[in-house]
Amino acid sequence: MPLDTSTTYPLTKLRLDGRRWNELRLLQAQISTNPASSGSSFLSMGNTSIMCSVHGPAEGKRGDATGGAAGSAGAVVEVDVNVAGFAGVDRRRRAGGSDRQSSRIATILRSAFQSHLHTHLYPHSTISIHVSVLSADGSLLAAAVNACTLALVDAGIPMPGLLSACTSGMSGSASTPRDPRNDFLDPLLDLSLPEEQELPFLTVGTTTAVPVGEDAMDEDDEDMKVSMMVMDSKVHCTYLETMLAVGIDGCKQIREILEGVIKGTNRGV
Amino acid sequence: MASTLPSLAIPGQRLGPVSSYSAGPGTHVQNANIYASIAGPVVVQQAQPSSKVKSILSVSRNLPRKTDSSTSTTPAKTTSTTTKPKLRYNTLPAVDSIVLARVTRVQKRQATVSILVVLDESASSQSPDPSKTASDNDNIVSILTSAANPENHSSSDELRFQALIRKEDVRAVEKDRVVMDEMFRVGDIVRGSVISLGDQSFYYLTTARNDLGVVMARSEAGNMMFPVSWKEMRDPVTGAAELRKVARPF
Repeated sequence: MPLDTSTTYPLTKLRLDGRRWNELRLLQAQISTNPASSGSSFLSMGNTSIMCSVHGPAEGKRGDATGGAAGSAGAVVEVDVNVAGFAGVDRRRRAGGSDRQSSRIATILRSAFQSHLHTHLYPHSTISIHVSVLSADGSLLAAAVNACTLALVDAGIPMPGLLSACTSGMSGSASTPRDPRNDFLDPLLDLSLPEEQELPFLTVGTTTAVPVGEDAMDEDDEDMKVSMMVMDSKVHCTYLETMLAVGIDGCKQIREILEGVIKGTNRGV
Repeated sequence: MASTLPSLAIPGQRLGPVSSYSAGPGTHVQNANIYASIAGPVVVQQAQPSSKVKSILSVSRNLPRKTDSSTSTTPAKTTSTTTKPKLRYNTLPAVDSIVLARVTRVQKRQATVSILVVLDESASSQSPDPSKTASDNDNIVSILTSAANPENHSSSDELRFQALIRKEDVRAVEKDRVVMDEMFRVGDIVRGSVISLGDQSFYYLTTARNDLGVVMARSEAGNMMFPVSWKEMRDPVTGAAELRKVARPF
């Protein structure tokens, strides 16, 4: 019997690494790891390890042909993603940020944080984020978003909330419409690399939103706003709401872990 | 509903309604509520009992790294003690600030320096308390120790603020006889005073006072020299003297 999730999960209801459908991998994070930068963080979600450093808000470079940060009304976020050659199973010779995966993650991160941070406080400035992937084992974009959030909080850049991201998928091929009588697929949270290669998944990032309406003065604020969503898989639309709900709940769990990391660091000062 | 304020705020955490507090630095207002924008301790500045102004609610920046609290490119260290007159959120070089800088280029009419430390204005104007002096000196010593090391000169210079020391601003007397190569060398640590914010790229410094000038320098042999007069420094190993515009020690 081959070891894949769609075959073994209906038998045992456990994934390949022994987790249930709604369990995160071990998330360990640390901020202020690099004293040479304005803010830095190191984050590992399972076997995915990411180092992130933030420089700025600094003055933008002059003479840029595209205009850059010199004439903008707010700060410009620049992201550079570097996946190390030893990050995957097969060593890649040409390391750097020029391959398609790194540039795509950098584009998503730049658009996510450009609209997320309070950039209007720093006109004509540049916030540079450098992401180094040390080990890649699935959920790479989600781990990069969480590492960038920690580094930006360490740098003291104002933001309306913590942007946390998570992946969620289905436990089998979800190409056909969902049958309520014969529903054997389960959503999965925080996919690892073998699960990402086999199953459909999406990456969702949420931040704390401001409540509106008559419950705006409610003391317990649990509302969230989906700031980022990336999906490349073929999934029938009936499964999308399930995957989104599980992903948003995973983001909530990750945000609580990130808040614990920030409070643990600030308490020691 | 007057809820107690948290001692440590997380970005996105609700601090209170705008009817009770005014939003200060580190917070933002959205939908009649004040939320924290940065992570740090919450500080409430009490309003005057007689006036009708509300208390100012702000989140200060509490850096975990002590060595970064004195540099000009990162926010300054702030504490919640009542003895501090005001909170300082950013340490930028201002006019009449005393800075420590490293010489990166010496030309015929000017010297280009890279600002490392912005000394506190309280440290230059009045004498601070001994515990604060000890911590500041520890920070500055560690910064200067790493700054005097030639290995990390080029990597961190692009992040620093650049400044110029013009030929006319080197000393107060005999301005026309100043030879820049006898005043500064590349790699020296210079204490200067900001006279202008300058143009887009450079601040303007002056060393035309007795307590301004070169405070740390390495000789041709690479040893740390000590000052012997206002224009001369000596190598303790080889005994050779070199010309500098020397600052008067404190």
